[in-house]
Amino acid sequence: MSTAVQTVPKIDIRHLTVNYAEKNREFTALRDVSFTVEEGEFVSIIGASGCGKSTLLSVLEGLYRQAGGEITIDGEPLTGTGTERGVVFQHYSLFPWMTTRNNIAFGIAQVRKDLSRKERLQIADTFLEKVGLGEFGSKYPSQLSGGMQQRAAIARALAMDTQILLMDEPFSAIDAKNRIVLQELLLHLWEGDGTEPRKTVVFVTHDIDEAILLSDKIVVLTAHPGTVAEIIPVPFERPRDRAELVKTPEYGAFRNRLLHLFYQDIAERIGGEEVIL
Amino acid sequence: MTATESVSSPAKVSAPAIPAAKRFLRVTHLLFLATLGVQFLPDHAGITDPHTAWLIGFVLLLEVLTLALTPVFKKKESLNLFLDVIGFIFGFLLLWTLLTAKLSLLPTALFPPFGKVLSQFWEDAPKILVNIKSSVGIILQGFLLAIVTAIPIGLFLGWNARLGSAAMYLSKFFSSIPPIVYIPYGIALLPSFRSVSVFVIFLASFWPTFAGTMSGVLNVDQRILDSAKVLGVSRPTMLSRVILPASLPQIFLGCNQGLSVSFILLTSAEMIGARDGMGYYVKYYSDFGDYTRTIAGLLVIGIVVIGVTFLMGKLQGYLLRWKR
Repeated sequence: MSTAVQTVPKIDIRHLTVNYAEKNREFTALRDVSFTVEEGEFVSIIGASGCGKSTLLSVLEGLYRQAGGEITIDGEPLTGTGTERGVVFQHYSLFPWMTTRNNIAFGIAQVRKDLSRKERLQIADTFLEKVGLGEFGSKYPSQLSGGMQQRAAIARALAMDTQILLMDEPFSAIDAKNRIVLQELLLHLWEGDGTEPRKTVVFVTHDIDEAILLSDKIVVLTAHPGTVAEIIPVPFERPRDRAELVKTPEYGAFRNRLLHLFYQDIAERIGGEEVIL
Repeated sequence: MTATESVSSPAKVSAPAIPAAKRFLRVTHLLFLATLGVQFLPDHAGITDPHTAWLIGFVLLLEVLTLALTPVFKKKESLNLFLDVIGFIFGFLLLWTLLTAKLSLLPTALFPPFGKVLSQFWEDAPKILVNIKSSVGIILQGFLLAIVTAIPIGLFLGWNARLGSAAMYLSKFFSSIPPIVYIPYGIALLPSFRSVSVFVIFLASFWPTFAGTMSGVLNVDQRILDSAKVLGVSRPTMLSRVILPASLPQIFLGCNQGLSVSFILLTSAEMIGARDGMGYYVKYYSDFGDYTRTIAGLLVIGIVVIGVTFLMGKLQGYLLRWKR
């Protein structure tokens, strides 16, 4: 997607520094991280374990406090959690004691106080249908597979109709085959049919192919402390098709470039510390 | 939707049908026949048991009920369990009959023929019912009072980290005092035996329920809390729709503990100073050497406690149906 020049980016992160304390010692999780996310842009943050990518998302979610720098959303400084940001976690996005449709209706209730319970359940059913869970509304999360739980979590985030979607490794715990199915589902839901504006998405992953398929822009982080190694626009046209895309030589070259960045970071660290990918 | 994503729904797995022979040809029924047959043997010299007919009637009734309920069970395991329990009852009655009326190996005064206990049940039924009503009424009152206070206070204090840790220590102190020692103070404080009992049952149920609620709140998975926070839920919603249901398994642990302590306490208290209740019934008649009624009372207490526990288990199963 061509980056339209806007006066104020949707999300603007400037010189972000985040510390965390562990056993009375303070560590720097992120140092001087800066990038912007434009309205309607899909941005992935990739990096090896321990690079602080999830911490970065926690700060955006409003769950973790920054030590320095500035984050603005629509030009306004970020303060705590907010219902303009929908979140999909890797685990436990859904409440185990609510049925799937009640989970979604509960999410809607937090942003749309004006709707009746019946209307909320109707919207919930519409979105369950969209993610292919039409028949599973009355099931509890424990009765669903991990992939179905993530579908439901995406349905809730979409049903809440937030401007921004924050996704923290939503498919990392899913088996390889279903992960591909879910990536394509998300791609189609997000790309839409062109009638509605696309949502702004910040997507954390350690899967390079996932990042390329979905994103307009990829932010590569290196670890200890987490800093931005490079910000790379993804040059592939939308709507994308995985099968077509992976066949092109451009895809291979682009993927190699990212892999190189990924492993360069690891090679530099491999002397001392244990590396977990 | 892909076919590889499967739904784990235990309800949908239908158990294989149990063959009729396996259903109805069981040791339990042999024990029934033996128990029935032994009633027709001559009594031991010097013993006349005019209540044999009661036992025969009871054994027949139990067998008819067993046969009627047998087709209800769908799963092999639950049918086995049911028949085994009934089998134990028949075995117990068989043994009891042999050791008392037929062989007279046990002293008759302490071990009356079981038919006599059954006829006593029937005769005393109105009296027993009054006593059950009294005992269960006190338990319910004290227990419910504890529930409606301990859970909200536990939720509130558990959610306020600082107050919560102080309250945790206090609750450890207070719950370590056996509630029975409050009785003398309760008697001085309150006007009637009933109110003292309710007070003691309240204390006995309050602390475990409170401690259960607190530990439930303190152990809610951080990821669930985060998930609720990012939805922007209000404070009351957080407590009622997130923290409370998440803590419910632990709350039930506390409640069940409180309930079983309550029964022990109440029956003990009734044996000391009451004019009503199951403990009173047992103590009163054993003082007169009427061990038929004593045994009847013991069995009734067992049945009542099992009944209450069963209902509590049903409630728990329903409210925690979302758990795997």
